[in-house]
Amino acid sequence: MSIEPITGRYLTIEIGGTLRRIYFEEAGQGRAVLCLHTAGADTRQWRHLMNDAEVTAGHRLIAFDMPWHGKSLPPEGFETQEYLLTTEAYIETVLAVVAGLGLERPILAGCSMGGRIALQLAALHPERFSGFIAIEASDFQPAWYDIDWFHRPDAHGGEMGAALVSANISPYAPNAERWNTLWMFMQSGPGVFRGDLSFYTRDDSLIGRLGQIDTGKTPVHLLVGAYDLTCTPEDAKRTAAAIPGATVSVMDELGHFPMSEHPQGFRPFFLDALARMPRVAVQAA
Amino acid sequence: MIDRFQDIQAWLEDQPHLLRLGRLFSETVLIEVEGEEIYLTFEKGRIVSVEAGPSRKTPWRFALRTDAEALEQFWQARPAPGFHDIFGLAKIGRGRIDGDILCLVKNLRFFKEVMALARHTEEGAA
Repeated sequence: MSIEPITGRYLTIEIGGTLRRIYFEEAGQGRAVLCLHTAGADTRQWRHLMNDAEVTAGHRLIAFDMPWHGKSLPPEGFETQEYLLTTEAYIETVLAVVAGLGLERPILAGCSMGGRIALQLAALHPERFSGFIAIEASDFQPAWYDIDWFHRPDAHGGEMGAALVSANISPYAPNAERWNTLWMFMQSGPGVFRGDLSFYTRDDSLIGRLGQIDTGKTPVHLLVGAYDLTCTPEDAKRTAAAIPGATVSVMDELGHFPMSEHPQGFRPFFLDALARMPRVAVQAA
Repeated sequence: MIDRFQDIQAWLEDQPHLLRLGRLFSETVLIEVEGEEIYLTFEKGRIVSVEAGPSRKTPWRFALRTDAEALEQFWQARPAPGFHDIFGLAKIGRGRIDGDILCLVKNLRFFKEVMALARHTEEGAA
């Protein structure tokens, strides 16, 4: 028998003029690291790092479920709404969580769409963070698929989404963690993966903002798995090259969900990324 | 190449979870390897025939076109990046998927795992 050190609580904040009940988990003490999950998934993607004593000895890892995801409910009236995530709503949500939890310039670590929004925040709101770890993140990825496939009445969007994203998981991933990773997609609410993909595959506003990121004040480190078909190493390198001073590491045996699919393979890269972030939050914003 | 798909046809019979996943899948799929046509006819999750082409008379629902070396790489226990998934083959320019893609996506886990059955020989698990 064992009880993990992760604790989960709920935070109510105002987003888009309405109150939202946000589920978040945390573990550890020290520098705050706010962790963002990928499209179609939730906080559980960070479970391994939150249970990693070497990581949590000096870091307070916090992850939250975006509205509509995991244990965060959709907004009141969702039954008549079409969920389509936007850059603006995503930024507002992350900043509201930072404020709501009273986080003082945390490191922001995001994967996939979470990495995309981390780079948006690096460009638009760097004063709220001390550094950025952008995992499987790129400037823009148009869809080669039809996002409407994943929300239709005659098929299970979660099962189709899981089957699609399985293409992004490395064959080096332990089988149990591969399926734990896919399970989150299978559980995703109807239309949620589609709504996330709408943001990820249609909003290219980051491209023109990359050059304004000041890595002298807030470092940016990108991590990308060689088995990621969605954000390839070429995509991440192109993105890093457009950010003066950004660094990038290619993870040869990992895919698009490294912290979830292959925790042992990912941890040295994540520890290295943390080591690149400032030890103490800069005084002046 | 057709013998590899005859092997897959036989191995599928020993995969009860795949037969369950594919229980609503009754379609013909074209596999084309460097011009060699192979028609896999599924009936309720079973491959009931593996037929060599060419055929202009056999309707198919979707097709995977690739080359022999790419397929052999796909069937490695740990394929190189891009060779690890049928959509990866398309992404790296070593494969093409045509036809009713939505039908494929609705049955994607089933079809990908059927295609990957030949990987079991690499791991000695077949």
